[in-house]
Amino acid sequence: MKKIIAIAALLLGFISAFAQDGKSIYMKYSDEPNVSAVYVSPAMFRMIGRIPDIQTGSEGVNLTPVIQALTGLYIISSENQDINDRLAKDVNRFIKNGTYELLMEAKEEGEKMTMYTCGNEQTINSFVMLAAEGTELTFICLDGKLDRPQLESLMADATK
Amino acid sequence: MKRIEDIENLSLEELEKAAAGVSVPDGLADRLKASLAAETLLQDDRKRHIWRNSVVASLALAAAIAVGVFVFRPAEPKDTFDDPLLAYAQVEETFQFISNHINKVYNK
Repeated sequence: MKKIIAIAALLLGFISAFAQDGKSIYMKYSDEPNVSAVYVSPAMFRMIGRIPDIQTGSEGVNLTPVIQALTGLYIISSENQDINDRLAKDVNRFIKNGTYELLMEAKEEGEKMTMYTCGNEQTINSFVMLAAEGTELTFICLDGKLDRPQLESLMADATK
Repeated sequence: MKRIEDIENLSLEELEKAAAGVSVPDGLADRLKASLAAETLLQDDRKRHIWRNSVVASLALAAAIAVGVFVFRPAEPKDTFDDPLLAYAQVEETFQFISNHINKVYNK
């Protein structure tokens, strides 16, 4: 009986250690000092979707179809080196443990940017970006059911 | 003294003849029945113990998993914005941030 309880406790420990997603990374770092954190919930995205005739930015592409497919936005940004090191490690572990594939990577002096997606050929369930510029590190995670061709078209429009 | 192989090769009539000469202690049949009954009860008891321990173990595991799910799951974070228009502006800014980085890659 004691063995069974000990095994169950160990299982719980393993589950909590390995269960990571954008939300858990956000929860871990959002209350740390010297961290900027932004969270938009599924409920807020639904409210945004109901706003009629949203005015997009002067050079913005039409985000309405993408907005309606989003269920969560998590942003963590910091200039604290210790937090940046820990955040980068956590994000890399989170990527390795999940089914993410590398979408894009760019490195130049003082800057590094990587983008990952999780999903299939038709749908992206999660988009993750980690951007390091000088002393600032930014983690962005978008969750939802994004149409992959639509998002790729959006990104292609952004480069014009 | 006969060997086991020899005894196994004896016919039924020869076995009966050999057994006829052996005196059976009084009450042996009753003692054998009592032993067999006790053994059966013991086995039933063991089976009941195993079944009871399995049920308790399963319930303990289910309770541990339920506690893990409800106690250790991360709490829901609070929305940064109360106004959907501000939230939309942030989403737009985020996409602009992403596209700026993509532009840097394509314009190298």
